[in-house]
Amino acid sequence: MHIPDGYLDLTTVFITYTIFTIYMMYTLYKLKNISYTEKTSLLAVVSAGIFAAQMLNWPIVGGTSLHFVGGALAGILLGPWLGTLSMFLVLFVQCIVFHDGGITTLGANMINMGIIDVLIGIIFYRIGEKFSGSRDFGCIIGAFLGGWLGIALAGIACGLEIGFSSQFAYGWVLATSVMGMWHLALGVIEGIITALVVAYLVKRAPELMYWGAD
Amino acid sequence: MRISIIVILALIVVSPIFGVILADMVGYHEPLDVAAERLGLEDVTDLFNWTPFIDYTVPGLPATIGYIISGLIGIAMIIGLVYVFSKLTSDRL
Repeated sequence: MHIPDGYLDLTTVFITYTIFTIYMMYTLYKLKNISYTEKTSLLAVVSAGIFAAQMLNWPIVGGTSLHFVGGALAGILLGPWLGTLSMFLVLFVQCIVFHDGGITTLGANMINMGIIDVLIGIIFYRIGEKFSGSRDFGCIIGAFLGGWLGIALAGIACGLEIGFSSQFAYGWVLATSVMGMWHLALGVIEGIITALVVAYLVKRAPELMYWGAD
Repeated sequence: MRISIIVILALIVVSPIFGVILADMVGYHEPLDVAAERLGLEDVTDLFNWTPFIDYTVPGLPATIGYIISGLIGIAMIIGLVYVFSKLTSDRL
């Protein structure tokens, strides 16, 4: 999912950085208006946990692999603004310290994993929470759908970015199909992990969950 | 919170099994890498590199140990950035 340097042309880099910068500025503006005194340590733990989880690459028969991305989980646990900030911290450190994901593609990677994945995660989590008879069950189903579809849509966005780049000769239809199908299939695992973590926290530590108070 | 820290450290300790040992055995890539290879995209990460810790390695250390050290460095960096951010936004965060 981390797009490396060299995959995107200058125009795509400029557009993705512009979107990312505007969204990040809005995120910081929203965080300015919210008192999160008690959430500093939660932000650190969730960000560090996602970073650690992303280091576990799971091999899949056929020569590919997957790792947990965690954008949806960050959104569900921290809310949309701190969730995006959490993913930014993870992606920034990965990019700057380990060159995992390019510096020219940080904007695109943030759009995919730090904005789309986070927002889709929250949206489906909220739908599950709202329309289920039991709050616990709804949260778990919502978390599963959010984790799964968050990755699938992030994969499609990744395909669009690569497809629109002039570096790629075959166009966005092929790129989005390839990336979309792959992540729709592999995203099921992301959904299951997200649902398991949420199921545990809803039962054992509901005070850590973001319930949309702000 | 204490359990979370233990789980994170445990993940870092076992991470080389998945990130290094199995990776070498199976020779796998992420879906994006596989797709990019088929689509003819060129990864220039190695040509324009600025960090000694590229791909979670530490110069002079075996890959497995380097992977664990990299994990600890990454976590320290993230916690440090959260601290800096919380200081910059004073009592807000």
